[in-house]
Amino acid sequence: MASSTPTLASTSHIQAKFFTKQTEYAIPDVPYSLPVNVSPKELNDIIYSVLYEGETEKTAAFDFLIHGELLRSSLDVYLEDKEISTESVFEIEYIERQAAPRPETSLSHDDWVSCVRGNNNLIACGCYDNTVKLWTRDGHCLTTIPGHSGPVKCVTWLKNTDEDDEHLFASGSHDQTAFVWRWKAAKKEIDCLYALRGHSGSVDCIAVNEDGERVVTGSWDKTIKLWTANNPSPEEKERDDSESAHQPKKIKSSGHKMITRVPLLTLGGHKEAVSSALWLDDSNVCTASWDHTLRTWDMSRAEQTQILEGSKAFFQIAHSPLSNLIVSASADRHVRLHDLRTKEMKGTYTSHAGWVSSVDWSKSDEHLFVSGSHDCLMKLWDTRSPKAPLYNMIGQEEKILAVDWSIPDLMLSGGVEVILFADDLALLAQNEDLEQASSLLQQGLECIEKWSKKWKMTLNVDKCEVTHFSKWTKEASWGLNVTVSC
Amino acid sequence: MDKVTTKGKGKRKAKSLNEDEKEIDTGPSLLTHINTSDAESEASGDSEEEKSDSEESSSEEEGDTEEDDSDETDSDDDDDGDAGYDSDNVEKAQSSADPDTRLPSENGKDEYEYDSSDEEDVRNTIGNIPVNWYDEYDHIGYDVEGNKLIKPKQADALDEFLAKVDDPNYWRTVKNKSTGQKVLLSEEDLKQIQRIQSSTHPGGSDDLYAPEITKRYRMHIPAPKEPLPGHAESYNPPEEYLFDEEEEAKWDGQEPEERRMDFKPEKFGSYRSVPKYEKFINDRFHRLLDLYMASRQRKMKMNVNPEDLIPKRPEKKDLQPYPTREGMIYKDHKDMVRTISPDPSGQWLASEKKDLQPYPTREGMIYKDHKDMVRTISPDPSGQWLASGSDDATVKVWEIATGRCMKTIPMAGKVTCVVWNPNPAINLIAASVGSDVVLINPNVGDKLLSSNTDSMLDGYTEAANTSDQKSPVTWSTANTEEHTRGVRLKIEHQQQEIVNFTWHAKGDYFATVQKGSKGQAVLIHQLSRRQTQAPFSKPKGLVQRVIFHPVHPYFFVATQQHIRIYNLVKQELHKKLQANCKYISSIDIHPGGDNLIIGSYDSRLCWFDLDLSTKPYQTLKYHKKALRQVAYHKHYPLFASASDDGSIIVSHGKVFTDQLLNPLIVTVKILRGHKTANHLSVLDCKFHPTQPWVFSSGADGTIRLFV
Repeated sequence: MASSTPTLASTSHIQAKFFTKQTEYAIPDVPYSLPVNVSPKELNDIIYSVLYEGETEKTAAFDFLIHGELLRSSLDVYLEDKEISTESVFEIEYIERQAAPRPETSLSHDDWVSCVRGNNNLIACGCYDNTVKLWTRDGHCLTTIPGHSGPVKCVTWLKNTDEDDEHLFASGSHDQTAFVWRWKAAKKEIDCLYALRGHSGSVDCIAVNEDGERVVTGSWDKTIKLWTANNPSPEEKERDDSESAHQPKKIKSSGHKMITRVPLLTLGGHKEAVSSALWLDDSNVCTASWDHTLRTWDMSRAEQTQILEGSKAFFQIAHSPLSNLIVSASADRHVRLHDLRTKEMKGTYTSHAGWVSSVDWSKSDEHLFVSGSHDCLMKLWDTRSPKAPLYNMIGQEEKILAVDWSIPDLMLSGGVEVILFADDLALLAQNEDLEQASSLLQQGLECIEKWSKKWKMTLNVDKCEVTHFSKWTKEASWGLNVTVSC
Repeated sequence: MDKVTTKGKGKRKAKSLNEDEKEIDTGPSLLTHINTSDAESEASGDSEEEKSDSEESSSEEEGDTEEDDSDETDSDDDDDGDAGYDSDNVEKAQSSADPDTRLPSENGKDEYEYDSSDEEDVRNTIGNIPVNWYDEYDHIGYDVEGNKLIKPKQADALDEFLAKVDDPNYWRTVKNKSTGQKVLLSEEDLKQIQRIQSSTHPGGSDDLYAPEITKRYRMHIPAPKEPLPGHAESYNPPEEYLFDEEEEAKWDGQEPEERRMDFKPEKFGSYRSVPKYEKFINDRFHRLLDLYMASRQRKMKMNVNPEDLIPKRPEKKDLQPYPTREGMIYKDHKDMVRTISPDPSGQWLASEKKDLQPYPTREGMIYKDHKDMVRTISPDPSGQWLASGSDDATVKVWEIATGRCMKTIPMAGKVTCVVWNPNPAINLIAASVGSDVVLINPNVGDKLLSSNTDSMLDGYTEAANTSDQKSPVTWSTANTEEHTRGVRLKIEHQQQEIVNFTWHAKGDYFATVQKGSKGQAVLIHQLSRRQTQAPFSKPKGLVQRVIFHPVHPYFFVATQQHIRIYNLVKQELHKKLQANCKYISSIDIHPGGDNLIIGSYDSRLCWFDLDLSTKPYQTLKYHKKALRQVAYHKHYPLFASASDDGSIIVSHGKVFTDQLLNPLIVTVKILRGHKTANHLSVLDCKFHPTQPWVFSSGADGTIRLFV
């Protein structure tokens, strides 16, 4: 491709072949002579010009892999780093670039969001004001559940019941309990199915297995508890009714008494708080703890099967069934990649400037994961690029406490946000000419718009109204042509 | 010799051996060229070859013999026979040869029974005449009595051939020409022959003429160098070296041994006119005498690398964990955070920090909500919560993992001390406000624990006040309004402001220190019985800090320059430590109980090994300003110090259970983060109870966590 590299003729060149596993972007297998200081962008131009000769509309951008590692710098820097000779023809794989994530919407909470989890079109958030909030994808708050008596630390979705409009989810809290809730979308009502009681510390993590029959919780009391998650049978309800009559009730959202469940199993072994738990398959659970270990447990035999020693306290782990790897978040700003089978750390991803609070894998791509940190950034990582993340997602103004990528095309982050409220704002414009008055109003509105953007506030357009005062009693058939774009 | 040629050679060999008599005659100058290994291979090879050849060869035998005869003469003349032997050697070999192989002599006795190499002449009775003169007789010579010495029966060619086929030792059997005897050569003989062939010493010593290398020779010590000639020895010495008359007279008058120099400096006009040095031979002789007579000794110099003398420095990686950086800032106080801790031996600070890991390396979190400086912080025993007390008259409880302020408890004034009860079964925070100590149930964490704590406090029934002594403090339960805020008990001191508060490890006793030097400056309180006692009637000085021993009933009282250790059971002074500093500001005891660190306002940190001495084991002066707090980690071998210079220095301080090993102290990290306000910066530092993290509180109203 002489046309793409005419200006660089003076620098030394290397021979490279391009190949891809994505057949729709395949190009002929011929070696290209590239100047050594070519950047990924120029490589992209080359591929692009071969693929779409003559076409101007750009449809894809590419990332380049050499020996399984993403090329993030110019080629010569990379070659120097890896001490690869420029003599041989080497192969560059290219893959379609992960599109840059865009901020979709912001769901405002009154207090810190400690956890967030998405499921289809629903998002559940646990907050420090002791509530769980349900949101739709488009940012509409469905309900607020003030069920807990302490800050909610974790939420998770159980499997959907047969009817599509029923969704089960569970939440764990500082009040040492976890609740399982049922959301009936059609009736827009929420039931508390049962409570899981037994922990003597805050419930910090909760996980449900594949078929939704078993729930495992991890707590500050260093134990892991296993619970059944099937729907309560009528007998259980009856029995529990009598029991719970003398119990002080936290919530009776749908009128009936709450059922309390006791754990099937309690597993001790961790020496410190259990910070994260997840199911590897139907019977195996992996937990992470502040005692610097990852442990796997066989729930069917109720015993510990594996222990993996780390060097730092783990805050959260995430497991990808695609690559069978685990990423972990810890306080020292590194995200680490572990392989449970070989018991070794496979990589360290360093870019965050602070405490990494949360990680989650992509559900569709075995290479991608996200991490959230107290440095207000959420980062999208490719496992093949350990030095720098693919994208930084700026949006949060404060610490990020939770990230989630359960909905494939939606990354969620929850954190500490300062929410401001402004009440009853009035704009007055006076003019003999209606047109001029409305333009004055428009100016005022634009000012407010700017200001509200700056402070991250939204205006409730539905509640806006225009009142027109006039000396004339004549009915005026006019409208104000002002726009609000918030 | 190659195998391929074996057959031919073998035949040739057989022939030549047949003519042994003749060959042996060839005299001492003829050295033969038998190669043992070759001969062996020939022997085996021959036997096989000959077997197959035996039939056809029998007819040819006559011809062969004839040929042999012609060969005989050749070999005799040319001295190139394959198997000719030096007769002397053969005779020697006879002495060691197996007697069985010799043919018995006529009279049935072994002819050589009495033989020895000295008597060789005895056997040669025929004199120096050619042996072939006796060929036609059946004897050779005569013995002493005049009897014929009968020749051994001569084997004919056929016998010879059969022997060649059957006798494995045939190849090393030779015939003594003078007696006609067959002699079997032993291994030793063969070796000797080989040595002769290779022109080495027949006896086998490697190199007869090699110089003997003595031990001394090997340890060659070079001769000391002669001193170089000086100016006086010059042919044209400077004037001052030349003798004046007086000196010359003196030199002449002296015995040669007394003379300063053994020559007279002389001046010559040119190098040409310098005469021959007369004493040259004499000098050389004396030099050689010196070298020969004076025993020289190798000086055993110790080759010690100075690096090796320095004790081995541990890798910092091995000493981890320790806090390395700020992890979190807890800020909410509006005034300075008063209490937090520093580090000992700045010498190793620069390098290899990773080796001592884990230790805190960077700031992990900031806890900010306080509106004034945070004087004091204290993590709860489980490590989930952190309590802080500030000048903004609040006590706050934080969730460590997120930096969330969970509780804010308003107090009556500036909070000088906040200490979480060390007993994990009791959920209580003690805060000192002015002259009051307030016990707070923060109601976070395990609810059961909180309710148990409450019921424990409520379960108290006032015992009859038996003693008439006026209690120095007033215990009172909180009123309803205070109760809802979490306050449970108040202990009002009647005197001064409380400067220090400490719990006993079991969580029942606690001690307070009041400002001023009155006798009741130090008070020990018992929570379960709500009693207070003043253990010291007379003040020994201005008490700065007190602390309980973690295991034993000892009580440490730090005054400005001394630390006194009291035995609480025996009620006596146990030990007195000299701090070597001017003004003690802080004290902490190692969880093992045998080591103590103190920080002082003159920017020193002293480590005491209580078993070792009453003087500091190590004094570290690495802070630039006054130390505010020192702290040990409960599990990791770490300690930290906080100073007004705005830094927290984390050190690795490993204590060994082995009494012989002294504690190992390595400074590993300087942590900064707090801003300085009013010359105050870091006011308190505490370690996380389980993680290698350190908290610090500062005058800027924040609490920072270094992870």
